Amino acid sequence: MTAVQGTLEPEHILFRAKLANVRPLVNMLKTISFRPRARCSINSDGLVFTVEEAQCLVAQVFFRSELFTTFSYDEQLAKHLNNQEQVGFETNDSQDDEASDMTQIVLPLDNLIECLTLFYGPSGTSSGNSQSGSHTTSSLLNAGNPGDLRGATTAVIGFNGLGADFELMLEERGTISMCRLATFMPEPPVDLKFSHVPITQQLIIRSEWLRDAFNELDPTSEAVSISIARTEPHFRISTIGDSGSTDMTYSNSERILDSFFCNEDQENQYKLSLILKSKQALAMSDKTKIRINQRGFLSFQFMVPTAADMSFVNFIYAPLISADEPAAADAAAARA
Amino acid sequence: MRLRAEVTNSNLLLRIVQSIDKLTKSAILKLTPDKLHIIVITDMDSGLQLWSDIVVEALFEDYQIESNFNNEIYLEFNIDNLQRALRSTQGGGALGVTMKLVKKLGGLPVLSLIIRSQSATGREITLCQDVPVRLLSAEQMDAIREPLVPEGQIHIMMPPLNNVRSIAERMKGMGDRVAVSANRNGEMNVRVANDLVDITTYFRGLETMSYDTTTQETSTDGGGGTGRLSSETFTAVVDMKNFLKFLQSHHVAPKNVMCCISEHHALIIYVYIGSAGYTGAAAMHDSSCGSLTYFIPVRQI
Repeated sequence: MTAVQGTLEPEHILFRAKLANVRPLVNMLKTISFRPRARCSINSDGLVFTVEEAQCLVAQVFFRSELFTTFSYDEQLAKHLNNQEQVGFETNDSQDDEASDMTQIVLPLDNLIECLTLFYGPSGTSSGNSQSGSHTTSSLLNAGNPGDLRGATTAVIGFNGLGADFELMLEERGTISMCRLATFMPEPPVDLKFSHVPITQQLIIRSEWLRDAFNELDPTSEAVSISIARTEPHFRISTIGDSGSTDMTYSNSERILDSFFCNEDQENQYKLSLILKSKQALAMSDKTKIRINQRGFLSFQFMVPTAADMSFVNFIYAPLISADEPAAADAAAARA
Repeated sequence: MRLRAEVTNSNLLLRIVQSIDKLTKSAILKLTPDKLHIIVITDMDSGLQLWSDIVVEALFEDYQIESNFNNEIYLEFNIDNLQRALRSTQGGGALGVTMKLVKKLGGLPVLSLIIRSQSATGREITLCQDVPVRLLSAEQMDAIREPLVPEGQIHIMMPPLNNVRSIAERMKGMGDRVAVSANRNGEMNVRVANDLVDITTYFRGLETMSYDTTTQETSTDGGGGTGRLSSETFTAVVDMKNFLKFLQSHHVAPKNVMCCISEHHALIIYVYIGSAGYTGAAAMHDSSCGSLTYFIPVRQI
């Protein structure tokens, strides 16, 4: 089904969307801005921005089309352009049809954020955004909050096909800025294939507990150990570092864990510095869903309140030593 | 040679010096019976220059000046020193500030700020801030001339400096040069570009000065009649660093800022200072008491 064509321009537009307030998008993008470039995937459902690091961390921000004031995406044109390109786009075995109407480009993420925050005010401070991480998260993203709309930048985002620039038209109080970002052809993505293997453990925890845990972790430690079991303590996070060890345990109590599922006991190690990269996303979320699959791969799904609904930021990690295979072979399998 | 005055508006003097802070290390102060001039030359050939003047009444009372050269005095001073000295004049409890040109022991001239203030307990304290200066002769002063720039093609009133400044601060990381364009339709554009990103910000509804009808282009659409606006755009590409330096003049809270584009030569920007340092309604009744004029050369490729 072709999305509504705007009465905007006479020629065929591949993608064009209007955002009443850039703040929610900026805040979401900042949670994955630890890499200079991001893959941007566009289809009728919305935008997904993905970054990866060291082939063992993939982080994604999902910005649904409903969050935009207007959103138009020409699926037919996308399919046509993708056929013309005949470049190695990712072929996702289970979703062959879907993949071909998706547009994928690589953007300079740091420049994108700089453009979106053009009207924020001098020296990196944003007008009115002075909340610390411990405040209620809803005020950071709720576009319906009048305080947030004061001095808000609106944006029209557009993209017309591989090779074209990614365009942003920003407006605040009568001043307009046109930004054009260079786009690059995407390389084969790092796919940690998290969902290919059964999930053996899952829990939902209120993010404030996890924030406390992250703050306690010893940053001198190389690895952080996450262990989920069917017996007490059900959920454990620990580090061993130069200054000693830290150990946080959580019982399966309603106050702490919103839900808990554990098929088999597992303890896995992950690189602490990479785990800590999710701190900003964690700070913005109300709740975090933690899932571990049979191979010990970890998924943090941060549930971030936006407007009237929830948005998601995902971080997927490969374990340092997999539960069933040595690390090297496992990483190679993930890339296959 | 004699110089003595009561500094009644030390705050304005401080804000003027704050505007020139970081431009370079030293500046020239030219004092005449009517006006105070501050001149900053960053680099004779290719850098930014600032020529400013302000009527003495806006800053001083009981202003006494005497010298052998038309009662004018020329000094070179370190900007940071003067700024620090002026900062001490601020703050509650200050009763008065006197400025004097004094020869200290050893024959070194200083501009002395004598600050009388009242402590919390009610006692009067006198603080003396000395700014070493170098006296310039009339010949030396004469050699320093305002740069000659061909007449500009367009004069346009700039949007509020704080708006331009916040955008320029964000854009500065994206390129070392910025293109400033304007046309007689009251439109001004500021553009920065590099390999990855290209940003143009459009300001609309600005006032242009009807400047020189004899230079109206004959190649406009349908031929020009008087009163028909040309949309021809004039552009000056300057160093981003210099553009940001000019934007520091926001410290004086200018009433008006006029930008003149002299294509291929320079951007000349006139920052008008109101004596109260206010903008908006207060400034309307308050005629300009001085100005900062920035000469920003166009980048030679």
